[in-house]
Amino acid sequence: MDARIRYSVLLVGVGIILAFLPFDAAQTFQLKSNELLTRSASEVMYFSVDQVARAVNSEDSTVQIIDVRSAAQFKECNIPGSINIPFGDLQNPLWEATLNQKKVKNILYGNGDQTASYTWTILTGLGYPNNYMMKGGLNEWFRTVMLSQYSGEKITPAENARFENRLNACKAFTQINSLPDSLKTKFFNAKRLNQSKLDGGCN
Amino acid sequence: MQQLKKIKFVILFIFVILILVIIRNSNQNLFKQDVKSAIEAIQNNSNMLSPDQLHQLKEQWMVVNIGNSDLPDSIHVEHSIKIPFENLLDQTNRKILEGVDGKLILYSADVATASKAWVILNQMGFKNAFILNSGGNREEIKYKFQPDTTARLEQDSI
Repeated sequence: MDARIRYSVLLVGVGIILAFLPFDAAQTFQLKSNELLTRSASEVMYFSVDQVARAVNSEDSTVQIIDVRSAAQFKECNIPGSINIPFGDLQNPLWEATLNQKKVKNILYGNGDQTASYTWTILTGLGYPNNYMMKGGLNEWFRTVMLSQYSGEKITPAENARFENRLNACKAFTQINSLPDSLKTKFFNAKRLNQSKLDGGCN
Repeated sequence: MQQLKKIKFVILFIFVILILVIIRNSNQNLFKQDVKSAIEAIQNNSNMLSPDQLHQLKEQWMVVNIGNSDLPDSIHVEHSIKIPFENLLDQTNRKILEGVDGKLILYSADVATASKAWVILNQMGFKNAFILNSGGNREEIKYKFQPDTTARLEQDSI
């Protein structure tokens, strides 16, 4: 008798608690609002286009560049090595493993700063780590990397290194985006194979 | 009565859990909105207002300048307030935002700041928050990529 009453009370209690918990399938932010605001106000989230250009040139495996524009815009041109996760597709479970991981740094970019900022805030709010954004977006990439030129008489080693970095990234961008889609994957595979040969790796 | 004494620890345990759940749900510092609604609003551009749309509004509104620069000339000063972005959720400022009657219009010359602030406020439940779009489409690509039609894969690299 005692046990029955005890279990009954326990069940009623659990029922009351469950009634208070939000049990819909909605995805809500996990971070506290003040914490998200502090992170949003800091500059730590930004990668400059020069840093991204360096990652492109060195095929940095600790970085994953993510284009949050539409598939049509991505097809027209994109940063070499980037993958396309359109903003409207953020909640697609297919991308969960890419966006919510601790291994590589995800660098988000759009045409400007707006879509990437929305995306960064949503992902960070959801508690996904390792998300960053390229400041200025593709417009800044074009302005700084694609239209890069040096007109001075003398060039310092630092300026020379920066200019060379931009020039190489510009070449890679032009080369990869001038190819038909079918050859783009082939190009990257061939480049990796060549690199592994140079590093002394096996096929 | 005897039985009630025997289950008093169970009742006490449930009561404590219940109090904790109520405290958690009433925490103002937690987000409770569905992310999907924010994504849809952004995709539909229904979170943006142009200065023209702003002046045509029949309901009340308040512009909150969260940026470093001043408001554009087209916005009346008496309808605006300046709150630095990093202090947006201070207790005093939060009360001001909650007390806004009508639409809450966020403005910053840096569109990234306004976008981040809008997402945060929207997810906190400020359904009256909008972004003032004072300078055309910020997400428009300004440059046209010119493909190099002579680019070919080198035979030995395939």
